[in-house]
Amino acid sequence: MKILLSDRPLSLDLGDRKDLVYFDLSRMKIANCVGCFGCWTKTPGRCVIRDDGVKVYPCLAKSDRALYVSRVKYGGYDTVMKTMLERAIPVQQAFIRLLDGETHHVQRSVVPKRATIVAYGVQDEEEKALFRRLVARNAKNMSFQSYDIHFTDEESVEEVVRREVEAWERS
Amino acid sequence: MGKVLILNGSPRAPRSNSKRYGALFARYCALETETMELLRSDPKEVAARMEEADNVLLVFPLYADAIPVPVLRTFKALEARPPQNRPTISILVNCGFMEPEQSDVAVAMVELFCKRQGYPMGSVLEIGSGEAILDQPFRFLAQWRIKALARAVSGGRHRRLRVTMPISKRFFLKASTKYWLDYGARSGITGAQMATMEIEGEP
Repeated sequence: MKILLSDRPLSLDLGDRKDLVYFDLSRMKIANCVGCFGCWTKTPGRCVIRDDGVKVYPCLAKSDRALYVSRVKYGGYDTVMKTMLERAIPVQQAFIRLLDGETHHVQRSVVPKRATIVAYGVQDEEEKALFRRLVARNAKNMSFQSYDIHFTDEESVEEVVRREVEAWERS
Repeated sequence: MGKVLILNGSPRAPRSNSKRYGALFARYCALETETMELLRSDPKEVAARMEEADNVLLVFPLYADAIPVPVLRTFKALEARPPQNRPTISILVNCGFMEPEQSDVAVAMVELFCKRQGYPMGSVLEIGSGEAILDQPFRFLAQWRIKALARAVSGGRHRRLRVTMPISKRFFLKASTKYWLDYGARSGITGAQMATMEIEGEP
């Protein structure tokens, strides 16, 4: 499975591809994580907030390719994408393991993935560098086997995404 | 010296470790303190309180390797409607992992906000094993560091501090496993149930 997760509507012709799932997070009802740890200690693997967020993280877990489209704010994902990423912790267990000598959560059935991040709205090189550091951290906690970051301006987002999806089709 | 505004940025503010860390800071700080929970506060009210503060202590947990959404929303609101006064911003960030340096990116995000919006940066305390350390014999280490942070903030100094449990990583894994097993047991959930590989009931 492949997943396209966007914080803005995209006008893309994705055809009838059964292996690609697209979520426009800006049109979904996704509440903030409340940090209750329910998905670890009360209903393991299931978020206690039963809104649209619960449709997204199982697909993220199953995907071997993931394309994230997000505005960048202060060197990180802006609110829409960040809210979803925080709600995705049911894919992890509470328990801790060692990964590359660091402590990290044990993953449930999460397919290692090749991730691409289309990042727009970056103001300068300092912010780009910080976002790269963030994605490098995410790679350890979000099962990224590898990742690419494409920085672009707001007007070019759809074109960059289109090229990336076409590249998926060729690979 | 004036007031320190303690902003609790935790998504579970009323029941959070950030609340406990903020309360310890307030106890040790020589200056007057006032605490607000970002989760429940109107950003306009946060900006209004910042007009009266010389220092802000931002207390938050690491979420998805970065600042949590309540902090992000507050920053965006402050950018949209900035206060006239720009207090010095210090940080107390805690992460559940053992390595306090896992919070470096979150700290850099706050620094970038401060740089762009004209807030002086103050001191930083990164706490590793922050989910559990206050309930463990090593709590005194966290308390010492919070005292040092409080002295730095009240003295107008810029310090970069870290603390975690002084144990091996292997022992940390054992201790954290016990911590979470006990946590689950309080809800009648076994270790095997907590360790399920299923997500939303699907293998």
